[in-house]
Amino acid sequence: MIRLENVTKEYPGQTTALVNANADIGKGEFVFLVGPSGSGKSTFLRLLNKQEEPDTGRIFVAGKDIGQMSTWKVPMLRRNIGAIFQDFKLLPTKTVSENVAFALEVIGRPRSVIRTQVPAICELVGLGDKMHKYPGQLSGGEQQRVSIARAFVNRPLILLADEPTGNLDPQTSIGIMRLLDRINKTGTTVLMASHDRGIVDTMRRRVIELSHGEIVRDEARGVYE
Amino acid sequence: MVLRVDYLARETGNNFLRNPTLTVATVVTVAVSLSLLGAFLLIREGVDGFNSRFQDDVEFIVWMNADAAPENVDSVENFLTTSLTVQRATYIDKNATFIEFQEYYADQPEVLDLVEPEQLPTSFRVVPEIADISLIRALGAEIEALPGVSGVDYAEEYIKQLNDFTTWASRIMIFAAVVSALASAMLMYNTIQTGLFARRREIEVMRLVGATNWYVRIPFMMEGLLQGLVGAVFATLSVFALNQAITRALAGENSLRLFESFALSTGSVLLISLYLLIVGAILGGLGAGIAVTRYLDA
Repeated sequence: MIRLENVTKEYPGQTTALVNANADIGKGEFVFLVGPSGSGKSTFLRLLNKQEEPDTGRIFVAGKDIGQMSTWKVPMLRRNIGAIFQDFKLLPTKTVSENVAFALEVIGRPRSVIRTQVPAICELVGLGDKMHKYPGQLSGGEQQRVSIARAFVNRPLILLADEPTGNLDPQTSIGIMRLLDRINKTGTTVLMASHDRGIVDTMRRRVIELSHGEIVRDEARGVYE
Repeated sequence: MVLRVDYLARETGNNFLRNPTLTVATVVTVAVSLSLLGAFLLIREGVDGFNSRFQDDVEFIVWMNADAAPENVDSVENFLTTSLTVQRATYIDKNATFIEFQEYYADQPEVLDLVEPEQLPTSFRVVPEIADISLIRALGAEIEALPGVSGVDYAEEYIKQLNDFTTWASRIMIFAAVVSALASAMLMYNTIQTGLFARRREIEVMRLVGATNWYVRIPFMMEGLLQGLVGAVFATLSVFALNQAITRALAGENSLRLFESFALSTGSVLLISLYLLIVGAILGGLGAGIAVTRYLDA
């Protein structure tokens, strides 16, 4: 599903974000990217949906070399890759259901689809009774559920999660991980950057460890260290 | 991809009303620059009409002395009718001149009371065979030397003076139009950038979930287009008003029939208005499109 071949990415004037990275991630896998801040986890994720371009190397997503992809196809790539973040990126002026519907609306899905999909996904993430609340009226965990609903409503092949529990307490984080696990069980490949040792050790999934931009460990059913 | 009409209308409307002061400023500068452009086109059209009237009808007037002897008049007439370079010469006698004089000073009867037909100079209206200025000059010089002739007036002189004046006037106007169009394009660019900044979170999400760049771009382009069009509508109104004023001024008793080509027909003004609307729409749509593209590529 995802393959990196000798990928290097540098930011001008800063340290190297990714050095000669190679990785092969199969369909339906759940992979943790671990390592300290600045080790290249976010860059790894951002390269996959073309928010960044690699300096050298090739990246394949669903069998396609995304470096060769023309600009106008990038939105189509992103429709197949959901993304969630530490800061949720919800629109404060829209309700829960409007935030989720927005993701369908802007890719031109018909209203009938939006009408049926939005309540179903809100139900799935456990917010069926809070669809008309605004993000500001929700707890952090609930806001992250809204962002998961928005990322997953298009049924993407891949879900990228950049520190999704970074702002949440351990109890709430467990709920979010259960939800991501459920999404993974539907066949969606999940890549999650995290430095939450407890979560990584509890889940016992594949772990790719980064240090100063290099992949120093790639281990099935791994732990944080 | 389906761009839904309600989405488009809502987003365009929201953008348009988000920052009213900036929107008004943009519309006003667009209106000013397009008004100048419209005035320029209006005058250019008038000059074109004016010139074409004289192109095939280059005329000069031979003025006789008021006290010229009849045989002098006869010899000038003889000269003109036999000259191969003259196509047609019409004699305006004292009575005809007096009638023109009466028309010209109709609202000043005290002037008319002072003048008798006998005191007025007669003249020949001459249409030369060839519209070549140097030949006409040579012919005029020859006639000027004849006894009883007080002078020769060339229409070409007036045309040249008028053309010099309108050339300068329209240069100044087109310069002002270009400068203010640049100002309005920059203001437009800024208005759209402000709108983009206000919506940066939404745009970030849109791009993340796979909205196409056009989906992001079109509402902003529509906003720019709308600002350009509203400005152009005001400019159209001012062009109509200007043409009305010119028409009214030329319809007055004292006015010169020479300049009547400067009063344009409604059709010509409508055509100019159409240009202004197109330029306004392009200015707005393109300015906004460039602003969004630069934002998305950054």
